[in-house]
Amino acid sequence: MKKTADIIIIGAGIIGAATGYYLAKNKLKVLILEKQFPCAGSTGRCIGGIRQQYTHPLSINVMLESVRIFSVLKNEFGKEVEWYSGGYLFLAHSEDKKQTYLQAIDIQKQYQIPVRFITPDDCLQIVKGLNPEGLLGGAYCPTDGQANPFAVTYGYLDGIKKMGGKLLTNTEVAKINVTGNKIISAVTTDNQEYFAPVILNAAGPWAKKIGKMVNLDIPVQPERHESVVTEACERLFDPMLVDYRSDGCYFIQNYGTGHFIGCYTPVPNDPGENIKATSEFLTEMPRRMARLVPRLGNLKVIRQWAGSYEMTPDGNPIVDKTPVEGFYVSVGMCGHGFMFGPALGKYMAELITQGKSSLPLDDFALNRSFGKKEAMK
Amino acid sequence: MKNKIVICRCEEITEQEIIAVIKQGYTSLDEIKRILRCGMGHCQGRSCQMIIARILSRMTKQPIEKIIFPSSRPPLKPIPIKTLAKYKTTGEHK
Repeated sequence: MKKTADIIIIGAGIIGAATGYYLAKNKLKVLILEKQFPCAGSTGRCIGGIRQQYTHPLSINVMLESVRIFSVLKNEFGKEVEWYSGGYLFLAHSEDKKQTYLQAIDIQKQYQIPVRFITPDDCLQIVKGLNPEGLLGGAYCPTDGQANPFAVTYGYLDGIKKMGGKLLTNTEVAKINVTGNKIISAVTTDNQEYFAPVILNAAGPWAKKIGKMVNLDIPVQPERHESVVTEACERLFDPMLVDYRSDGCYFIQNYGTGHFIGCYTPVPNDPGENIKATSEFLTEMPRRMARLVPRLGNLKVIRQWAGSYEMTPDGNPIVDKTPVEGFYVSVGMCGHGFMFGPALGKYMAELITQGKSSLPLDDFALNRSFGKKEAMK
Repeated sequence: MKNKIVICRCEEITEQEIIAVIKQGYTSLDEIKRILRCGMGHCQGRSCQMIIARILSRMTKQPIEKIIFPSSRPPLKPIPIKTLAKYKTTGEHK
């Protein structure tokens, strides 16, 4: 049988691009099939935050590695990716939230993450103009940061092309052929058949649909999340500001451009594939931003849009091989795909080429019990 | 000369930069926007997208009506945060 590639990756977001890059470095012939264009799904709609402040040990370990990779990507690509270590500041406005953060810090300290709980005065030092009303302090980690999702993803994709791999845009997979429980080929909507012994599902919001093509039920449900971006201005503060109150929000000043960019998690959540922007968000988000940092009030909002968080039942990704031989999944990123992407790409490439990854990914297994939820969400 | 012609005034992108990206194989307005940021600044592409579409049409030898434009997104013009914050939009306008 003819072979088109060593591996077919479905989806040219950060997960497909990073995994493809580390596979190509391992001398594998990579073919990426992308139904629209790179970053058209969730990666290009995210706000680019990168943090290590999690409570799940595996998420922390993945993020320690991702931050290390982000900090050297500029050298790796020979191109700017706008990585900036400006930190994350999680604000506590209730004793409850403060305790959640203190417990999280206890866990994070075990992994040498330089995170600490700081006083309201310290918060005001770091974020000039922050509204101190009701503020009990915040969990601050200066080594968290941000990068440009487009620059990172296109950097990986350019690398793949340089190493002889191929990216086909406007190429949607319609069918996956399996014989005797083994991956054979992917067939696209324009009736082209591409043969490879391995297929990686990196389809983000469409991961469940791709799973169904091999009769695999992947517990991933996209939820709509919206964003706004303001005009650019001089640098006002460094960290991503996170307010996890039910009517809170999170936003960051883009290091490369000076725009403020932010979003919030809707209550109740908003499941489904609809990613149209709403007028409700266009007025609600500015209200929440202005409450947190009133002096942002004069900045103009220039654009709003929406995207998907691909949620799993426990808020952690699914990164695993599957009962179908040659079919792998790196899906259900729960809104953290961009920051998890570089490290998960590296570990998934190890799993595919060596049969196991240098960091055991058991807690992200497809058949896990999905019990305990991530507290830092 | 082309390195002196600014196509996107908000993000200060020249014709030369746009031509270079198209030559690398990025032949849609959506991709050019994501790589160079033209269309992501203050004017949201109202000044530059048509000009870039023309360059793209010329270089890829396809009629301009075949060029797909990026989504237009609200608000129609920039609005201050404090102005937006005054309005409450109810569920029916979702």
